[in-house]
Amino acid sequence: MKIAAYLFLFSCLVSLTGCFEIVEQIFLKADGSGDFQLVLNLSKSKTRLNSIMKMKTINGHDVPSKEDIRYRMADIEKTVAKTPGISNVKTSVDFDNFIASISCSFKHVAGLNNAVKNIYLKENASKKAPDKFYEYNAGVFERLNRYSFKEDYKKLSNADKEIFATANYTAVFKFESTVSAASNKETKIAPSKKAVMLKLNALDVIHEKRSIENKINLTN
Amino acid sequence: MKKIILFLAFVCLMGAATPAQDLLNRVPSTATMVMKYSGENFGKSLPVKKLGNYDFIRDDIFKMLHIDKQTSLEHIGINFEQDIYQYISMEDTCMSFVTLLPLKNEAQFLKFMQTSYGAKKKAVKKNGFSFLPLSDDSYIGWNRTTAIIVNATYQNRANYWDNYYKTPTADSTSMILVDSAISVVEAPVADTAIVQSDSASMEIELVPLDEEKEAKEEMERKIEDSLNNLKWELWQQQQDMIAQKKQQSTAEKIMVAGFTQTVHSIKNDPGYTKIVDPAAHASMWINTESILNQYSNFFAKGAYGILNSYRSYRADTTDDFKSAVNFYFEKDKLRMENRSYSASAKMSALAAAVMNSKQSNSLANYVNPDNIGYFSMSINSEAMANYYYVYLRKYLSNTLRMNEFADLVDVYIDLLEIVIDEKAIADLLPGNYIFVMHDMKPQIVNYTDYEYDDEFNRKEVKKTKKELSPSFTFALETRKEDFMKKLAALPLKYAEKGGFDYKEKDGYYELAFKEGDVPFSSLYFMVKEGKVVVTTSKEVIDMTKNNTGFAADEKTRASILNNNYSLNINSKRLIDKISTQVSADVNKKITEYLSKNLGTLKMESSLKGGMIQGTTTLNITGNHQNSLEFFFNMMDAINNIMEQDRQEREKKLY
Repeated sequence: MKIAAYLFLFSCLVSLTGCFEIVEQIFLKADGSGDFQLVLNLSKSKTRLNSIMKMKTINGHDVPSKEDIRYRMADIEKTVAKTPGISNVKTSVDFDNFIASISCSFKHVAGLNNAVKNIYLKENASKKAPDKFYEYNAGVFERLNRYSFKEDYKKLSNADKEIFATANYTAVFKFESTVSAASNKETKIAPSKKAVMLKLNALDVIHEKRSIENKINLTN
Repeated sequence: MKKIILFLAFVCLMGAATPAQDLLNRVPSTATMVMKYSGENFGKSLPVKKLGNYDFIRDDIFKMLHIDKQTSLEHIGINFEQDIYQYISMEDTCMSFVTLLPLKNEAQFLKFMQTSYGAKKKAVKKNGFSFLPLSDDSYIGWNRTTAIIVNATYQNRANYWDNYYKTPTADSTSMILVDSAISVVEAPVADTAIVQSDSASMEIELVPLDEEKEAKEEMERKIEDSLNNLKWELWQQQQDMIAQKKQQSTAEKIMVAGFTQTVHSIKNDPGYTKIVDPAAHASMWINTESILNQYSNFFAKGAYGILNSYRSYRADTTDDFKSAVNFYFEKDKLRMENRSYSASAKMSALAAAVMNSKQSNSLANYVNPDNIGYFSMSINSEAMANYYYVYLRKYLSNTLRMNEFADLVDVYIDLLEIVIDEKAIADLLPGNYIFVMHDMKPQIVNYTDYEYDDEFNRKEVKKTKKELSPSFTFALETRKEDFMKKLAALPLKYAEKGGFDYKEKDGYYELAFKEGDVPFSSLYFMVKEGKVVVTTSKEVIDMTKNNTGFAADEKTRASILNNNYSLNINSKRLIDKISTQVSADVNKKITEYLSKNLGTLKMESSLKGGMIQGTTTLNITGNHQNSLEFFFNMMDAINNIMEQDRQEREKKLY
């Protein structure tokens, strides 16, 4: 989630404009290993982003250069790659379409949690990071959320709030096992019962009107 | 800044007319900015009772001023029927924002002060007035007839990091600044061992870590953070104390002079009387060059904190340009008349020379009838270059340590004058420019989105959306057409290597952009018949090729051709265009309100009566008694929209 939070923040700092989408995707095998991918798609705002990237600051926020962003992504990649239980780490930034992504494979969900935690600690050395973002135990996969953006959002100016007006969060979780139930009412379950999708408006998540938390029961 | 707005709002709370004591007598001639709110004229536009009905005044302004919501402004002892003044001055090392309020009832004012501040603060009797510090930088003094509020900001705050990296001296003390109040202070010296260890300890090891090691590191980090924070806080406290002491002594000094009326007033200064209209509803007077200087110092210090001993206070500002804006809150528009004046014949002649220019017909042809806005400027570049030498000489001679080398500065500027060929500059850019925002049209832009099949497999799809694309033209005159042509052709050679699409077309050049790179597809460059044209509009290029132009209305053309500066912004059209890009409900409602109530903004400026004079008007629409009431109605409406939005959101959530 911290990656999402970081990218969320990044998007806030960089764009301060219309529309973006965060896609979180996990493929979980029955043994607890799997693949993870997080995508930040700012393509819908690319014209304004191209203009903003030519500035130094906007609405009082510093605008990072392409080099800064590439360096940051490489740094994140390095940090994630060093985490035990994590492999195949890849990051990409497409400045033509303004799409950034990070993907990796994990041996167990704890490894994925540690990877996210390490990035959090890298950014916030003196703070305590949440231990868990995901949990997989006895046929139950959980997406947890220990963050609240509500108070931070309240402090934003109207111009800054504008960027969240049409932003979306999409979570796609796929499984080797069969999905028997999902706790989040907004969840869609695929006909094969091997995948679930949760698509939410970012503002609803920020206002805690909707939650990204989900508990998915799996049967073999 | 917040304080300035606060006091501006405060003095807006005024009534009707009665004879007045003249507080202008207490505004010093050294002030760099003077605001006057005419009790008679201002109060007619917006009675104090009406103001009390605005929610934002009662909810926010009253709160900021510590005024109880039930308190009537008519009964706080301040005479809102007389003129109120505010000014900025530089005293010693403090920049002070001073408000002069006429009192009608000292007892009521005292009660108001006691109700608002009395529980925490105690007034001190000084020589002929009562003195009350409201905060570390705000002070109020009053007698039977007048109240003086001073917001002082100490300008010589030392920078923490300057001392942080200093090598420790034997007695750990150092001299800081030349300041009449404080001369020697304890300097916080960095513990270099800790600083050096900082970088080492910042290495973050990856989890999982040995719990004990992790806990130890966490503890070390906390201790280190605490120590650094403590040092920082102590330093800040020390600086706050120094500042507070200096600010208070400055405030007292201003008040003593004000109450004993030993101020050398600006009242009879021709630089003030010639340009401030007593009939205006409000007026703002500034000593242009001094205030620019003062604020550049202020912001430079704020941003970098490195100009500790830099003071550029200039006592003699006779030669400076003084400018004033007189405000008239009329029924359907806000009118602002601005005038600039210098008592020096030499400076006046320079100003006249700068304005000795006329906009060309061919540039005026680029203004299309339905434009969103335009800005036309016509000045004499050669005269402007000559003015820069005068300004530079004055500026440098008042800059840190430079005044000791005035003779050297003089020679340096002379040398510049010899080296720089003003005539050649004027040939290249004679001084006629125009910028026109023709329109903002929606253009189709591609973007990448995702679609999901039944099994939620993600597929990238290309979609399109409409974005506003500005259509604009910037054109200038030149007498060095050959040079400009060379300049326009120069990128051709480097286009391929530089990875940009710059091509020569039929008498013009096109710089094409990748879709989504900038909000327009191409930028065109053309040099023809003494004009350099940069535009996003192919129509403008074709027009230039064919020696034709848009047919702007006569009034617009006259405004452009008869003034050195002419600006017009069709606010409604601009807001309507922008509103199509706004998504949040609250912002939609705000833009809708502005679209219904804001009219055209127009500005014209030229040389009249030996002075640079201009008129700016902002038309208003909607149901308002006058333009002053419009501003309050607008603030109230926007405040209500935002409040309503907040309430609706909370209602949905809980």
